[in-house]
This record gives sequence, structure tokens and C-alpha cells, in this order.
Amino acid sequence: MIRIFALRALLFAGLWWILAEGRTDGWPLCVVATAAAMWASTRLWFPAPKPIRLAGLPGFLCYFLWNSIRGGVQVAHMALRGRTSLQPALIELAVTLPPGGARVLMVNALSLMPGTLGVDLHETGLRLHVLDDRLPIEAEVRALEAAITTLFGKQP
Amino acid sequence: MLDWLAMVLLLAGAFFFLAGTVGLLRFPDVYSRLHALAKADNLGLGCVLMGLSLQAESLVTALKLLLVWPLVLAASAGVGFAIARRARALGIQPWRKGEP
Repeated sequence: MIRIFALRALLFAGLWWILAEGRTDGWPLCVVATAAAMWASTRLWFPAPKPIRLAGLPGFLCYFLWNSIRGGVQVAHMALRGRTSLQPALIELAVTLPPGGARVLMVNALSLMPGTLGVDLHETGLRLHVLDDRLPIEAEVRALEAAITTLFGKQP
Repeated sequence: MLDWLAMVLLLAGAFFFLAGTVGLLRFPDVYSRLHALAKADNLGLGCVLMGLSLQAESLVTALKLLLVWPLVLAASAGVGFAIARRARALGIQPWRKGEP
């Protein structure tokens, strides 16, 4: 517990240092800002029952970066070709991720992945809007799901 | 060399912003417009920030520029989902191929 809070305080102080562009003469304000951020984080960001594994982070970031580039290029291409290139649909998929942080991350990340947009998240499933239902959407979603599973570590 | 790389990244960023805006204007409904905004603009912003941070005067300024990206990314992914869910709750049907 102490370790989690120490890490957070270090993170917030680091963010402040970056925002202040490396100047250290305003350090009293840094202390105040860090304390305020700590207070807000205890209200909003509870220690998760299943935190992410730091070791899984680089792999996930690479996956995410690569697929945001693919998603951006694909949608730019469709935009330049106009609406004749679209074949939109709403689809329902089951989610296998546990409720909580993992699912929230998934539905948010889907908006940046190629061809998909999260529309709704409920107990058992996920509703997606897809730009072109001829694309292998389910494979993409399962790949993202696998990447998030790796990020959070094996389920107990 | 760095200047050239920065210029290529800035031009690529401008292109993706343009494509996102074209998508916003040409796509038929709220859902597909959200696709264009979220994906193309985030890639554009990423390119612009990378290009700018290559030309930054100090490391910490470059870090500050790069910090903007994940923050905007989180915001626009969350907002995209929220708008789409609300549109669905209001009963807005997605455009289908063949409709005007």
C-alpha cells in the first residue's frame, strides 16, 4: 500500500517537473500540486484488485502504436475515397475479459483500432460500430483482447 | 537530418488531420464520423508532436510535447465512446450502404 502511494507521488512529481519544463525554483507549488493530485487519486483511482504488469507494458504499447497507425491510415484512405468505400454495421461480440479496468481499456482502445468503434458495453458483451463489415473485425478484436490479457497478466 | 525527419513527420501529421476533416465532412452519420475523428486526428497529432519534439530546445520540452499525446488519446477515445453510446441510446440508426 505504502509502495503504491510512493510510486504515485513520484509519478505526479515527475509530471509536474515535465510541465514546469525542468525548472526547480517553483518547488513549493510542486509539493502542493502533488498533494492535490494524491488526494484526487485516492478518491478516483483505487488500488486496482488486478493491476497491470509493468513488464507487459512495452509489448502492449508497441501493439497499440502499430494498430493506431494502421487504423489512422485505413480511415484516411476511406475518407479520401468517400462513402462508397464504406459498408458500416453494428455488431455484437462476447467479451471474455473480466469486468473492470481491462474491459474499460478495451472499449476505449477499440475506438483507435482499425475499423472499430465501441458503442456499448454491458454485462456479457460489447456492441461495436464497424466501418466496413467485410474486414476481419472479430480477429482484430480478439487480438486486442489477447494483448490486454497479457498486459494484465494471467487470470487467477 | 533531424530537421528533415521533423519536416516529414509534420507533413504527415498535417495530411492525417486533413484526411480526418475530409472524413468528418464526407462520412454519412455520427458513428462513421467518430471513426474518422478519433483515428485520423490522433495519428495526425502523434506525428505533429513527434515532429515538434525533434525540434524542441531541451529534452524536458520534448517530453512535455510527447505527454500531450497520451492525454489527448485517452480523452478522445473516451469521448468517442460516450458520444456513440449516447447516439445509440437516442435511437440513432447507423447509415447503411445504399441509403442516400
